Amino acid sequence: MAHSNVSVSAAEGGDAENKLPEVSFWNADHGIKSWLLTLDHKRIAIMYLVLTLSGFLLGGVLAMALRIEHLTPDETIMGANTYNRVFTLHGVAMIFLFMIPVIPAVFGNFFLPLMLGAKDVAFPRLNLLSLYVYLAGAALLVWSMAAGGVDSGWTFYAPYSLSTPAELAPALFGVFVIGFSSILTGLNFIVTIHTMRPIGMTWMRMPLFVWATYATSIIQVLATPVIGLTAVLTAIERLFGFGFFDPTRGGDPVLFQHLFWFYSHPAVYIMVLPGMGVISECVSVFSRKNVFGYNMVAYSSLGIAFVVFFAWGHHMFVTGQSKFDAGAFAIISMLVGVFTAIKVFNWIGTMYRGSIAIKTPFIYVCGFLFFVVFGGMTGVAISSVSLDVHWHDTYFVVAHFHFIMVGATLMGFLAGLHYWFPKMFGRMYHEGWGFVSAAMIILGFNATFIPQFLLGNMGQPRRYYMYTPDAQMLHVASTAGSTLVAFGFLLVAIYLLWAMKFGRVAGPNPWGASGLEWKTASPPPKNNFDSTPVVDEDPYTYNKKGEEVEHVLI
Amino acid sequence: MSSSEAHDSHNPYLAHHFDTMEQQDHAARLGMWLFISTEVLLFAGLFLGYTVYRWMYPNTYQACANLLSIPMGATNTVVLITSSFTAAWAHHCIKINQIKRGLGLLAVTIVFACVFLVVKYFEYSHKFSVGQLPGKWYSFDGLQAPGANLFFAVYFLATGLHGLHVLIGMTVLGIIGYRTIKGRYHGGNHVGVELGVLYWHLVDLVWIFLFPLLYLI
Amino acid sequence: MSTKAHDSNHEDHGMGRYVAVFAALLVLTGVTVWTGEMDFGSWNIIIAMVVATIKASLVVLFFMHLWDEGPFNRLIFVVSILFAIVLILFVFGDLMFRIPGLLPPSIQENDIPKILESHHHH
Repeated sequence: MAHSNVSVSAAEGGDAENKLPEVSFWNADHGIKSWLLTLDHKRIAIMYLVLTLSGFLLGGVLAMALRIEHLTPDETIMGANTYNRVFTLHGVAMIFLFMIPVIPAVFGNFFLPLMLGAKDVAFPRLNLLSLYVYLAGAALLVWSMAAGGVDSGWTFYAPYSLSTPAELAPALFGVFVIGFSSILTGLNFIVTIHTMRPIGMTWMRMPLFVWATYATSIIQVLATPVIGLTAVLTAIERLFGFGFFDPTRGGDPVLFQHLFWFYSHPAVYIMVLPGMGVISECVSVFSRKNVFGYNMVAYSSLGIAFVVFFAWGHHMFVTGQSKFDAGAFAIISMLVGVFTAIKVFNWIGTMYRGSIAIKTPFIYVCGFLFFVVFGGMTGVAISSVSLDVHWHDTYFVVAHFHFIMVGATLMGFLAGLHYWFPKMFGRMYHEGWGFVSAAMIILGFNATFIPQFLLGNMGQPRRYYMYTPDAQMLHVASTAGSTLVAFGFLLVAIYLLWAMKFGRVAGPNPWGASGLEWKTASPPPKNNFDSTPVVDEDPYTYNKKGEEVEHVLI
Repeated sequence: MSSSEAHDSHNPYLAHHFDTMEQQDHAARLGMWLFISTEVLLFAGLFLGYTVYRWMYPNTYQACANLLSIPMGATNTVVLITSSFTAAWAHHCIKINQIKRGLGLLAVTIVFACVFLVVKYFEYSHKFSVGQLPGKWYSFDGLQAPGANLFFAVYFLATGLHGLHVLIGMTVLGIIGYRTIKGRYHGGNHVGVELGVLYWHLVDLVWIFLFPLLYLI
Repeated sequence: MSTKAHDSNHEDHGMGRYVAVFAALLVLTGVTVWTGEMDFGSWNIIIAMVVATIKASLVVLFFMHLWDEGPFNRLIFVVSILFAIVLILFVFGDLMFRIPGLLPPSIQENDIPKILESHHHH
């Protein structure tokens, strides 16, 4: 048994032995300027946390508004035009302000240098710039809200997006600007991973979260410019009537969809891959076992990053695109399921015969697996063209992508938030409340979206503010589920905020986890490590290959 | 800590989070190539638009291409190629500490960039005056065809985005020049110059494709 | 170090390379203008693209030093070009095989531009 570098007893020791470090990155420098002009990746990560959670709050409130509207078949609290604006903004806020940036910009920024034993990312000033660019894009999106909102759906399809009187231009430019933030982050991470690994950390000795971040960054860098261009082209068309996508001027609206989805499909993997990376980390710690099939998990991340660029047309099966393309896109989309399945089997293989510790992050891992497996399978189902003809633009698709997005990104985010909470804030949260709120959130999301699969299969269209009375029961069930979710999140916010100030002091490695980030203080000092570590072992060292896992209480 | 850090640690250009200048320079170049790849994907969308609408309106496109001035386009091509050469030469000079010559060549590069923009200005103003404009603004009587306004939409979008990059490139070269004058870039620290010149070459690269696609075929 | 691509300073090749590439670029520009004026039917596009690709390769390899760079920088550039080509190819897979009635009006068979010579002056 070999984890000599891990002090399991630290977790058991209690706060008598553990004190918060006198000086950490939190109080290394004082004053608001030291935060606003910081080059410390950890401070940038915290600021991103605040901003992305604000975006999540905005998207969440809008979601609740939508669900309340759907309590009755006709108008409940809003009319049709308002409904259009609410679901559009829900999508835009959730996707661009939260889902795409959150895990890379928060956990990637905080932990990538730590996991690599580095002092910072490769380009710290670019990192700070990405934060301000994000803020500028978010401000533009808020402007479009204030100007009455956007009603075209977050997908901005031509020709409606060209002719709607709603104020689209700020929203489109907002998307363009936020895209830059994503590109800068991805670029920074790729260079960091390539050039700042410590001595001894070969590619196959990197933690899997780093692999996932790497694959995500590749997608961010290559795909985002296309949406940037598309958003600007659409704005130019609205403002100047160039006719690029406008059929009345000879343009092709399906061209818009091709350009839009060329980014937006890989974009969903920007949301999913980092969550998978977090899960790889958590599943090994809380099974006290090395990740099963490390190589396959690492390669499948790259595989996903590559294949998803060729799958975008599965969003366009009913646009009239050619059967040739439809067939190609369908088959390639199913291929992604293969890579995902590889990961799922490896994670389960990790848990098998491990020593499971049922802590909050692990609950979220279980939630992740459930949502990704079932959401993923419905994805493979939808990627058959014939089935999609029935399901396209119905609640079935809505339920599918919420299962995946909640499952992969949100569960990943919450798992990471709880797993890394002691490292970031130096204190432990209360497990009991963690468990309860995780259960509420997971059960709540199931209750919200399983009825929507049924609704979609019944033929209920999405983005409609009215529905036929036979669908009411399912809609009410869905709203009930979403209320449970909302309370779950409220609970999480309360006990985490409380724990930041009053939680039990955690010590450097409360979970007894492998990984360089646990070899420094909690919270880490400004310079991360007193001296650059040298890596001479694999990333996961819970057990030697073939050995039985020692059952350990953490 | 690696031993090379000991002798690099007093290099004033070494950032605190890098161990050696080699690591820092490698990171800088890698970052720049990643950025260049984003620019490739950015222009890709416009090249797609060009290809799509050319396929839809092949005759109109050819007719419209004949409306463009090949001499002006060819001049601009030669101007940009030459400016790429002078930019590469400028970096070379700074690298071997011929600072004054390097600065002079940077200035020449910027002048060529201005020439490019001036020629473009003449092209654009001609089109404005006869109504060869994109989308709903197209009003040129000499060629009536459904795809003509789309040709000019692609033309203005592509050359416009390219022109924007010329402006940005000029600014970048100007900043490099300024920093060289201030003594920041020289034989012992020239990667910054290399990166800026790389951006300028990218501008040239895009035009190498735009010229034949828009003017010649 | 984690990766060693090359020395901080690229070996100094001297200006010879740049001059040769510059000359080649000028010649190729002349070629493309000259062949552009002539009519080879559908070969015009191919010739123009081949020449442009050669010119671009010269710029990328020598002016932009990809010839000397490490493998990963080359991979990045090549992959970005490949994905751009994928974008164009797949969209063409759609356009070329789409049901004819679903394309914007005035497609191809209606594409007969009316040209008034009097308005043309170069």
